[in-house]
Amino acid sequence: MTSDNDRRRGLLARLRGRPVARSRGRRRLGAAVRLAAALMLAGGAYTVLAPGAQAQDNPPLSAAGNEGKALFDVSCVTCHGRNAQGVEGRGPSLIGVGSASVEFQVGSGRMPMARQEAQAMRKPPVFTDEQVRQLGQYIQELGGGPQVPSGNLREGANMSTGGELFRINCSQCHAFGGGGGALSSGKYAPSLKPASDRQIYAAMLSGPQNMPVFGDNQITPQEKADIIAYIQETLKHDQDQGGFNLGRYGPSTEGLAIFLVGIVALVFASLWIAGKS
Amino acid sequence: MSTHTEHQAHSGPEPLDVNDPRLSRFDIVQEGARRDDIEIVHYEAQVVPGSKAERRLTRTVAMMFLLTGVLATAFLAIYIWWPWQWEAGRGGDKLYTPLLGLTLGLALLGIGFGILTWGKKLLPKEVSIQDRHDQPSSPDDRKITGETMRYLADELGVKRRPLLGISVLAGLAPVGAVAAAPLIGGLIEQPHKNNQMFTTGFQPAEGGKKIRLIREDGRPIRPADVSVGGQLTVFPGIEGGVSNKHADSPTLLIHLREDDAQKSRAANERKGHGDYMWGNYVAFSKICTHAGCPASLYEQQTNRLLCPCHQSQFLITDNAKPIFGPANRPLPQLPIEVDEEGFFVAKSDYTETIGPDFWERP
Amino acid sequence: MKRRKFDRAALPAKTAGAVDDRFQVATPLRKLLNKVFPDHWSFLLGEIALFSFVVLLLTGVFLTFFYEPAMTEVTYDGSYAPLRGTPMSAAYASSLDISFDVRGGLIMRQMHHWAALLFMAAIVVHMLRVFFTGAFRKPRETNWIIGSLLFWVGFLAGFTGYSLPDDGLSGTGLRIASGIILSIPVIGSWVSSSIFGGEFPGTIIISRFFIAHVLLIPGLLVALISVHLGLVFKQKHTQWPGPGRTNENVVGERMFPRYALKQGGFFMVVFGVIALMGGLFQINPIWYFGPYEAWVVSAASQPDWYVMFLDGSTRLMPGWEISIPIGDGYVIPPLFWPTVVLPGILVGLSTMYPFLEARRLKDYRHHNLLQRPRDVPARTAVGAMAVAFYIVLTLSGGNDVIADKFHISLNAMTWAGRIGLLVVPPLAYYVTYRICLGLQQHDREVLAHGVETGIIKRLPDGRFVEVHQPLTSADGHDGHAPALDYVGWVVPKKMNRLGALGPAIRGFFYPIEKPAEAPVSPGHPPVEPRPEREEISSGESRR
Repeated sequence: MTSDNDRRRGLLARLRGRPVARSRGRRRLGAAVRLAAALMLAGGAYTVLAPGAQAQDNPPLSAAGNEGKALFDVSCVTCHGRNAQGVEGRGPSLIGVGSASVEFQVGSGRMPMARQEAQAMRKPPVFTDEQVRQLGQYIQELGGGPQVPSGNLREGANMSTGGELFRINCSQCHAFGGGGGALSSGKYAPSLKPASDRQIYAAMLSGPQNMPVFGDNQITPQEKADIIAYIQETLKHDQDQGGFNLGRYGPSTEGLAIFLVGIVALVFASLWIAGKS
Repeated sequence: MSTHTEHQAHSGPEPLDVNDPRLSRFDIVQEGARRDDIEIVHYEAQVVPGSKAERRLTRTVAMMFLLTGVLATAFLAIYIWWPWQWEAGRGGDKLYTPLLGLTLGLALLGIGFGILTWGKKLLPKEVSIQDRHDQPSSPDDRKITGETMRYLADELGVKRRPLLGISVLAGLAPVGAVAAAPLIGGLIEQPHKNNQMFTTGFQPAEGGKKIRLIREDGRPIRPADVSVGGQLTVFPGIEGGVSNKHADSPTLLIHLREDDAQKSRAANERKGHGDYMWGNYVAFSKICTHAGCPASLYEQQTNRLLCPCHQSQFLITDNAKPIFGPANRPLPQLPIEVDEEGFFVAKSDYTETIGPDFWERP
Repeated sequence: MKRRKFDRAALPAKTAGAVDDRFQVATPLRKLLNKVFPDHWSFLLGEIALFSFVVLLLTGVFLTFFYEPAMTEVTYDGSYAPLRGTPMSAAYASSLDISFDVRGGLIMRQMHHWAALLFMAAIVVHMLRVFFTGAFRKPRETNWIIGSLLFWVGFLAGFTGYSLPDDGLSGTGLRIASGIILSIPVIGSWVSSSIFGGEFPGTIIISRFFIAHVLLIPGLLVALISVHLGLVFKQKHTQWPGPGRTNENVVGERMFPRYALKQGGFFMVVFGVIALMGGLFQINPIWYFGPYEAWVVSAASQPDWYVMFLDGSTRLMPGWEISIPIGDGYVIPPLFWPTVVLPGILVGLSTMYPFLEARRLKDYRHHNLLQRPRDVPARTAVGAMAVAFYIVLTLSGGNDVIADKFHISLNAMTWAGRIGLLVVPPLAYYVTYRICLGLQQHDREVLAHGVETGIIKRLPDGRFVEVHQPLTSADGHDGHAPALDYVGWVVPKKMNRLGALGPAIRGFFYPIEKPAEAPVSPGHPPVEPRPEREEISSGESRR
């Protein structure tokens, strides 16, 4: 069975400690496997969002766009190719992904990637906010795409709508408490703790990596504001009424706590009670 | 009574006269123990009365009780005066519950360790030996009891008068059933009323009117509402469609990318579900076929759908076939199309059974 | 007539006399106050469970004053703003009210939940103590069975209570429970629709769970606990072997004065620990789970720890379905095996174990002395195997959390659990068995040759030997220290432990009577000291 082989190979590779590419592309052989895997690894949603943008004559860039191009040509061109057209087997084309995607990927330090792996991890960002903006401007001017609006992203938010939307659309992967969770074969939904308003907004708009896209037709900007407010204010601020939250992992850490704290304390107490005085 | 060790006065089989005025209170206690087959072989005060050690221990115990008093008072003060109610913007007070727990817990521990120290350190140490007496009853008693019971059976004479036995059985069995009947009869429910286990809210209404797909707030859905690589939880557009009344109806509407949609369409064709998709949109039941959790962790790159309860993984582009984990049946697919007003509708109800498997699922 | 002066000092005696006149209590009370209990820390584990049950009753009664067991739909209007205006069941709304609008309600709810977790944890730990020391043997098989039943009834109490708030997490659990019931062949759908009053979730299940949780199950628990304690009382507690302790006596403290004080103090300590945990550690924060809605779920959905092993077995089970091609076709879903059959086997095996062991060893005597786990390698190893099995399943029940937090592939975790479930228990059996034999061997060597002193001596012929301190004085006929018999109790292994373990009775080293049973490993030949060491110690003891 192919899926069986797939799993076994993944397991073996993991045991050997090698970063492993898992995607439906693996089921093919040779170069096709590597291509598909690499596409997925680098967050290949971009290809889809760039219908037929390959052939285009370069329009003149703005000042910020030029700055961004300079940065791009130093740091990104290796994988994403000249004019962000993508490099086979390394990185996808960025035509049409929009500045939202750049803001999320570069702003949260996921890009540039240190190495190709199952999923780009959040790291301290390499670029300053200004540089991220310039890179975004460059990508935006190359092929357009979704943009995060400026201004207060929690304007007029309704917390209870936000909570309801969060539970329907977000909690299945990021968990009720926003702590994140596991996905198949080594992929994961990250914790929302370090995410800023703009990053959450950008993630919903662009659907980075395996996250589904929540376009403005599906979740309106106002609803996005509700969700952001719920995450930032309710989940991160005024939630833990009952003391230390044990990492908000749910019953698994509660079970650990009853043994490590409750049972251990009481066994020590009984050792003392029954001990020789 | 500092030390009463060893086997003193175990001698006489005749009990001590407890009214003897020369006996100390401990002598009487010891005599009482002896009458219960207990030998107090070692009884020794741990602290000399009036000694420094005794005063220190007394102070420790007293301090614990006094501390308990202080903490309990603190608990009451916090309970009454601490601002505790949840307020919008500020939230609740994060310290209220922890402070209550801290004061109450420490107060109780104060009582506990106070009593324990008192009992453990200030009371004399003792070793007593009690006989167990766990031998069976005497053979005579066994015989007598056994015979008494048989005697009862003899006197009833069921053996000689079999009709009585039969009539008791025949008469009492229905009474037992009467006791059980209301309970079972009241609880029992026909599971297949209205064919409910095989239908969902998407079943076309009377007259064949197709049911719209709606969002959680009741709005119908246009194709443009779901972005490429996006997913949306949809419900039947009927009364109570977005409620637990139709817990088997929540459905996941997914807008696939072009190449994935082709694969999905090919897989549909293979299964004879050629017309279930509309454009690049597919709709699968959100209720896992394994244990019924909402399988809704959609990975838009790999097109896997993961169930967070038991980690079954379904491949959307292959008719949502289970490819990992404990599920054994694909997620049922809802045939969809767009009506003349441009909203998604279900062409028909699901053609497979929703949710966890059961015995009579065909 | 002069009024007789009221004599206050004589009042207690007078009252007591009056009571005894009517109820004849002096004699039974004397027996009760005099009852002797053996003292060992491991005998207090069951008390933890008993005391947390008392706390459960106290906090539970408080909660019933505010909880509304109804699934009627209401719109939340309490003080917790992020849920205001959300439609939900009355049960969930009242649970939120307990958390936010009842003064001190949250700490009561949290104490109740922590006490429940502690109750189950203490039951398991107590059960392990009873198992590994052989306390379940004749005449105590009945109490062992009642104890195992208490675990399962406690399990039901926990599950029904966990479901009552009707929040998003517990509703998911309930949904799985309905799936489990559905998976039972032939009658599954009938049982499910009868329990839920129709198709899942229906509108009645919370009310039914409520009455089960506050009346039926606690009633059963109280009854079982009473019988459990009554039998301990009647049959008298087991004790460890040791000086003065035999199969026919109990060595310890009388109930009064010290033992009762210690118990009372320990109750307060248990209560205090529960209160501390209830206040300091947040448990089951239902307000961010939202109301139960069939389409809402969270990553890392887990049951409470004592149910997690069933969740784990469900996760590890491959999707094997049995189809029966008769008529329209019938199926036995894969869910049936890990959630119905497995617990059934576990209940059967655990309750029958005392009889299985007695049958295997043909041992039908009374046993009031405990065994050290090392002296019964086969039982200890079987126990370790069971524990390993349980732990693998429990960890698998949280394998998505482990996968996420330690960056392991989820699929790899599942496979590790599947393989681990087959490999780890036998390994645990083998390793435990060997460890037991090794410990036995060491005990026998110390008894034969004495304690290692750490002093190295060089003999005239150039050999180095370690000086051993024999445990008895050299009064054998040829100056040898007589080898001591193993009595099934701790043997001092270090110089500073000599005498520290202390005989229960001063001035005694040998027991008054030899224990009725020689505690050798049943089914395994007793371990002999290695003969080649004989020379060394005898050489040393001669001087």
